[in-house]
Amino acid sequence: MAAPTALKRELLPLARILGGISHLKPRSLTVCSGHRKCSVTRSCLPLTPSTSFHTATFLSSSPSAITVTEEPDTLFQKLLVSVKSHDSAVLDSYEFFATMAAKELGITIGKVFEPPKDIKRMTLLKSVHIFKKHRVQYEMRTHYRCIELSHITGSTAKVYLEYIQRNLPEGVAMEVKKTAMEKVPDHILKPLWEDVPAEDKPGQ
Amino acid sequence: MAASLSSAGTVRLLSALARSSLLCSSSGLRGLHVTAACCKNRAARIRIGKGNKPLTYEQALHPHHIGHRKGWLSQHTSNLKGEDGAADRTVEDVFIRRFMFGTFHGFLANEIVLKRRGNVLIVCAIMLQKMLPQKFYFLIGYSESLLSHLYKCPVKLEIQTLVDKAVYKYI
Repeated sequence: MAAPTALKRELLPLARILGGISHLKPRSLTVCSGHRKCSVTRSCLPLTPSTSFHTATFLSSSPSAITVTEEPDTLFQKLLVSVKSHDSAVLDSYEFFATMAAKELGITIGKVFEPPKDIKRMTLLKSVHIFKKHRVQYEMRTHYRCIELSHITGSTAKVYLEYIQRNLPEGVAMEVKKTAMEKVPDHILKPLWEDVPAEDKPGQ
Repeated sequence: MAASLSSAGTVRLLSALARSSLLCSSSGLRGLHVTAACCKNRAARIRIGKGNKPLTYEQALHPHHIGHRKGWLSQHTSNLKGEDGAADRTVEDVFIRRFMFGTFHGFLANEIVLKRRGNVLIVCAIMLQKMLPQKFYFLIGYSESLLSHLYKCPVKLEIQTLVDKAVYKYI
């Protein structure tokens, strides 16, 4: 009962705004009436004192249902997350974020280290034509950061990696290496030579 | 490295010219000095003037300050070691910058920053408050939908407005 009246209240100012805007177009030729209409619309429109237009649309995703299956979860002995970027400050903040997320989720962090950076240098001719003695040098730096997580289950790894990857900053590339643990096959559990002496005796 | 033409190796040239009475004047032979080519760096640098030209922070710092005092205008992963697609991203960037420069002609306060996160292309720009908000919204929607159709990926525009250009120094 309250909903239709609330909707009506919302629609009235909208109608006023739309009416005001539609009035603007044919009356733009006459200056004084245009001014009057302008002031009317400006009072209707929400005045934004801030200087930013936030037009990014939020992606609404439906919450994923929790599935329970009978098969055992994969176990990872080691999960190596390595990120690379041109900016080491961005990697610093991302490392802080990832380690904090792992600590909050209760994941054991093995080690966090920084492999040495790679610099690719190019020496090119400065001029389009001749002037061989004048060159210009460019370089591209790639910084790395590695986070090693140990003894993690498959579902935890999925959740953690999805969270990490959704918040990956622009200009940062990620590589994940997983070391899974598998059950030892039954046929190699016992050594062969325990059964062999019983067969060898008739041969001798 | 200046080489003066009155050195031993080029005396013959001068004497030949003297004979053909090109350089001969009442005061005798004159030396001619030439310098070797001095190719100065001109990339992304605005030459100094009288002190009345306003510069933004982006324009005032030279390209060798990128990574130290300046940030990157276009952020993507294709220039990292072991990643490809650099040429395609560069071409896209050039087109998007020209497109934005043309659509919002005279309204851009600074260079456009392009960010790529997964499939999404985010175009960040700072505009001047010279237009009605309705026109702004229309142009933003138009460029977003046109660029999304062109590049077959979601394109988002993040706009901030200023009253005037932010001046860092006068050159």
